[in-house]
Amino acid sequence: MTGITSEAPSRPNVRFRQVGRPLTRTDAPGKVAGRTPYAGDYVMPDMLHMRVVRADVASARLVRLDVSRARALQGVACALTAADLPDRAVSTDIPGQVGRKRLDTGQQILVRERVRYFGEPLALIAAETRDVADHALELVEAELEPIPGVYDPVEAMQPGAPIVTEPDNIVAERRIRKGDVEAGFAEADVIVENTFRTPFQEHAFLEPEVGLAWVDENDVVNIRVSTQVIEHFRPIADAIGVPHNKVRIRGALVGGGFGGKEDLTVEIYLALLARRTGRPVRLEYTREDSFVGHGKRHPFVLTYRTGVTRDGRITALDVRMVADSGAYVFLSPYVLLYALVAAPGPYRVDNLDVFARAVATNNMFTSAFRGFGALQACAAYEQQMDEVAKAIGLDRMELRRRNFLKTGEPMSTGFVPPSAIWTDRCAERAWAALGEPTPARGPIRIGRGIGCYQQSYGRLTFLHDTSEAWVGVEMDGTVVVRSGVTDIGAGQVSALGQIAVEALGTTLDNVVVYNSDSAVTPLAGTTTATRALYMTGNAVKQAAEAVRARLVERAARAFGVAPDDVDMGFNEVFVAERPDRSMPLVELVRICGAEGIHRSELAMFRAPFTDFLDPETGQGQAHPDYAYGAHAVEVAVDVDTGEVEVLKSVAAHDVGQCINPAAVEGQIQGGAQNGQGYALSEEMLYEEGRLITPSFSEYLMPTAMDMPKVECIILESRSGVGPYGAKGIGEPAMTPVAPAIANAVADAIGVRVFEMPITPERIVRALKRRDGTGRLDSPA
Amino acid sequence: MSNERTITLRVNGREERGRFPAHRTLLEALREIGHMEVKCGCEKGDCGACAVLVDGMAVDSCLTLAWTAEGAEITTVRGLGDLESLHPVQQAFADGGAAQCGYCIPGIVIAAKAIIDEHPEPTEDDVRLGLSGNLCRCTGYTKVFEAVSEAAAVIRAGRSGQ
Amino acid sequence: MYAPFELEMPGDLAGALDALAAGRDSKTVPIAGGTNLIVDMRAKRERPDRVVALGEVGELRGMDFGAERISIGGRTTVTDLLRSPEVAEAAPSLIESARLFAGLMVRNTATVAGNIACGSPAADLVPPLLSLDADVTLASAAGTRTVPLDEYFLGYKRDVRRPDELITRISWPRLPVPSVNTFYKLARRKGDAITVTGVALTLCAAGGTCTKARIALGAVAPIVLRARQAEALLEGRALTPALIDRAAAAAAAASSPIDDVRASAGYRLHTVEVLTRRLVSRAWDRFDRQGDQGTAASAAVPAHEVTAQRRAGSDGRSA
Repeated sequence: MTGITSEAPSRPNVRFRQVGRPLTRTDAPGKVAGRTPYAGDYVMPDMLHMRVVRADVASARLVRLDVSRARALQGVACALTAADLPDRAVSTDIPGQVGRKRLDTGQQILVRERVRYFGEPLALIAAETRDVADHALELVEAELEPIPGVYDPVEAMQPGAPIVTEPDNIVAERRIRKGDVEAGFAEADVIVENTFRTPFQEHAFLEPEVGLAWVDENDVVNIRVSTQVIEHFRPIADAIGVPHNKVRIRGALVGGGFGGKEDLTVEIYLALLARRTGRPVRLEYTREDSFVGHGKRHPFVLTYRTGVTRDGRITALDVRMVADSGAYVFLSPYVLLYALVAAPGPYRVDNLDVFARAVATNNMFTSAFRGFGALQACAAYEQQMDEVAKAIGLDRMELRRRNFLKTGEPMSTGFVPPSAIWTDRCAERAWAALGEPTPARGPIRIGRGIGCYQQSYGRLTFLHDTSEAWVGVEMDGTVVVRSGVTDIGAGQVSALGQIAVEALGTTLDNVVVYNSDSAVTPLAGTTTATRALYMTGNAVKQAAEAVRARLVERAARAFGVAPDDVDMGFNEVFVAERPDRSMPLVELVRICGAEGIHRSELAMFRAPFTDFLDPETGQGQAHPDYAYGAHAVEVAVDVDTGEVEVLKSVAAHDVGQCINPAAVEGQIQGGAQNGQGYALSEEMLYEEGRLITPSFSEYLMPTAMDMPKVECIILESRSGVGPYGAKGIGEPAMTPVAPAIANAVADAIGVRVFEMPITPERIVRALKRRDGTGRLDSPA
Repeated sequence: MSNERTITLRVNGREERGRFPAHRTLLEALREIGHMEVKCGCEKGDCGACAVLVDGMAVDSCLTLAWTAEGAEITTVRGLGDLESLHPVQQAFADGGAAQCGYCIPGIVIAAKAIIDEHPEPTEDDVRLGLSGNLCRCTGYTKVFEAVSEAAAVIRAGRSGQ
Repeated sequence: MYAPFELEMPGDLAGALDALAAGRDSKTVPIAGGTNLIVDMRAKRERPDRVVALGEVGELRGMDFGAERISIGGRTTVTDLLRSPEVAEAAPSLIESARLFAGLMVRNTATVAGNIACGSPAADLVPPLLSLDADVTLASAAGTRTVPLDEYFLGYKRDVRRPDELITRISWPRLPVPSVNTFYKLARRKGDAITVTGVALTLCAAGGTCTKARIALGAVAPIVLRARQAEALLEGRALTPALIDRAAAAAAAASSPIDDVRASAGYRLHTVEVLTRRLVSRAWDRFDRQGDQGTAASAAVPAHEVTAQRRAGSDGRSA
């Protein structure tokens, strides 16, 4: 089901022996055998079990909180409330924020007085057993006096709306002004305006948040935790009031992240209670805890106004975005920035005005989620492209062709992405791969849709991102990699191993990667923002190639040739083109060892460092580079019931260079599932801010019965800024899926549902509205 | 608690004893006695991460009371094979890239084993229907489907070769 | 799961009934598959003092396929149904429902009696059984009684079963030839979903008229219920599109759905009508095609075929 098209050989004389092959990942055998310990699988003697007491309303004043009965329960070791805490807050680290809205992300650790969202933690309980902790949870008495809340971001901007946190509900504002929008609209033959709504989304990683903390003999708080970010030791230390070197995060292979384990989850609670009780403490969220325990995807309301000529040239674009930030700031200003930059999509728009705001409400707080704002923008701009095409009577693909941003052209911020822009060929390949249309029959209508995208990889360049890795060769020729990178399931660690063994002339079974320990592995930065391969892959490559250079130099002397003539592969060192002149890698390593030649290297890779975008015009560089591609689908829609079935799902992405094609496909196919659920079935419903769908029987992600086989078309421009020209695929895999499905449904039924998820009910309502056949009235 | 008692669970061919109250689920009990390979994802039968075989039938261990499993043959993913001797289902999942974060995999491998036991030559429908109680957020299932088919073929070939 | 209780595991039916009788003064509940009860206990919706596990009660297993009636034990699992060719022949709708019932692990443990006794209007085995005119046998230490499933439910999660009684058997008459017996589950996704609207239908025909109609509706009222007026409209008549439309409207009129997280009441009313019309039309067309001398009692399309058609997006869902 997969084709890989490689073009433009990366460099002459480079022959990949490990990179680019669908090798069995280093983490796979342990996982399928049930041998891999996740963070929740660690236990310690004398360990306490924790639970979090949560508010059951979304907006209230805490009048009284009585934990005395819980404390009195036999087996309860500690019950902690805000009253017991030092006057500290926890912050989301947002360096480099500028602009006129507030930067303060500080928030209470436990509710002091004001409850701002459903599930906000009131108290922490640690007990000898899980049963006792569960029992104690029921004995906590909380008197909450409801305060009027605000649950809609547009309402939250109105005068007189309840204020979530003083001084106002506007959390962040961002703007792009480029060219002359007025002139552009004047030049347009047709102006198309639509408003699109995107929903909350739950990450729904299968492993709920979990961790185990203890204080060691050096008075260091150790936290074994499921996280995407071991660098959180810093905000944790700040929050509990200890020096940074007194908190150590030890990760584990993560049971799914998707951005949901990017912020702090259980760490602070664990640190507090481990220090207070002096005993190891374990906290595992229940699924219900998890639904309210980490930030969701920001719902957006996006209004697109596009000016276009009759022949399909976009002359102006005006975009207004409002994002629901929920009750606390978290990463909202960043998410908003991504949406802003992505607003026009992979299209050349010279006259552009984008105004984006993130607004506080008493809904669940929102933060990082695969696609990170750029995905919400894509959901809108790709639907808008179809609507524009319809308005001027032009083929949807043709409209796109005429407006695609091309390699070397400036994007929304005026920045020229350094890599190839292959949206066009990805779109053509994906569209063609849909093949013969499935025939419509009776009430079953068939429709097709495409989504094209631009998605950054690598963090915002004004954050001055760096990543470190250490690579060494052991005396027997095996390789060790040390890097703090977290592996959240995409094969991050295995890919680093593949890069290291490529450079060092050995094979993947000969490498061990130690990762994810903030005290002993070099800090590699977060596994977020589709940056792990780009940043840490480059760091590993640098380190491994430095070691290789020393080995090769020594081998060249042994062979009596120039270093450039020496090659390594499959544990042999040899003279290129003269494989008869060779020695085993292990022999070369022994020689180097005996002569004191340095067999290891610590390298740091630095992303481009820039200033912040111009605050008035939004012009400048935001990211290191961008990935481009497309997703196409065919759907069947039952026009009587509104049921949708995705029949075909095809992705075509330029990944730059595959490190492991099987892992790339896995990302793409998983992204297709995330995007399909987002488009069609996943829905977080709230009543006055109270989540009423906190389980997997109510929050419906696609099952094995719902997913088509996803076809992957992988293109390799070898033009990216990652190792060997790689780009990134983690987030891009998901970004274009939902609008492709929305466009296919609209194509099938002839009317658009402007709000996701596109449920059967919304489809039936849209059809009835169009046909004037009445509404879906509820009985009186 | 007065309603605790010591029971013997036969797990992966070995008898293991533990003292549990009546309300302890098989999932909790298995993890308490060290079977960390059985994963907790939802505790209400929605996700399948905790699936084990009880007398050859795949069940959600979170919906099974530990006491009622006494005397039964319980098989977890570790009972199928180990690193040096992976079961064909495990091998196919590893080599086919069907495990990403891997947290759902102990349950999915068990369900896959049960599907192949019942349908040695499973149709696509058999596989989809058999896996509909196992949620995976990473793979989109495509490689899971392929791995189940591959494993079934390997098992069939192994049988016919004997 | 913190929900302490006493657990008894009787070895036979008499022991189970004695345990339930002895527990009348405390809150005692039976557990079979546990796929509802354990979830409810964990959510603290149920807090029993004593739980009587039925796993060892052999009398509750077993299926009996008589010439006139089919009878299955209360502890028959959903998987047992799916593995039985006799059930596939005698109750196609039950198989269609069982196929899409939760996931594999739940199907392996969830029981027919448990699905009835949970009292949920979305219980997926109930509309098919209701469309088959099933009876429920209740036993207690004091004796045994049989009630029509049609009279079993009193209201939302309320039924005629006393706390000391168990559903021991479920039985239904064989379908006449020719007949169509079918079920459609409308849900928000295909796998492991809770029903939004479920419609089960039994339609029998002779000499060009409909001789019997049973339309059972799931998830559209406090209980699973029959659309009696719709049935009455069809019985004794040759079906026409107009008549089928009226029956479909009558089925909607019989419904009293609510808004919930899955759908609005209005959508449920709409889909009850659509699905009733669709199932009845399709069944009647089949009689037409077969000249109402259908070759098999189970004129319904075999379940796997239905799904294959659904996947192809074709006849499986067309009216």
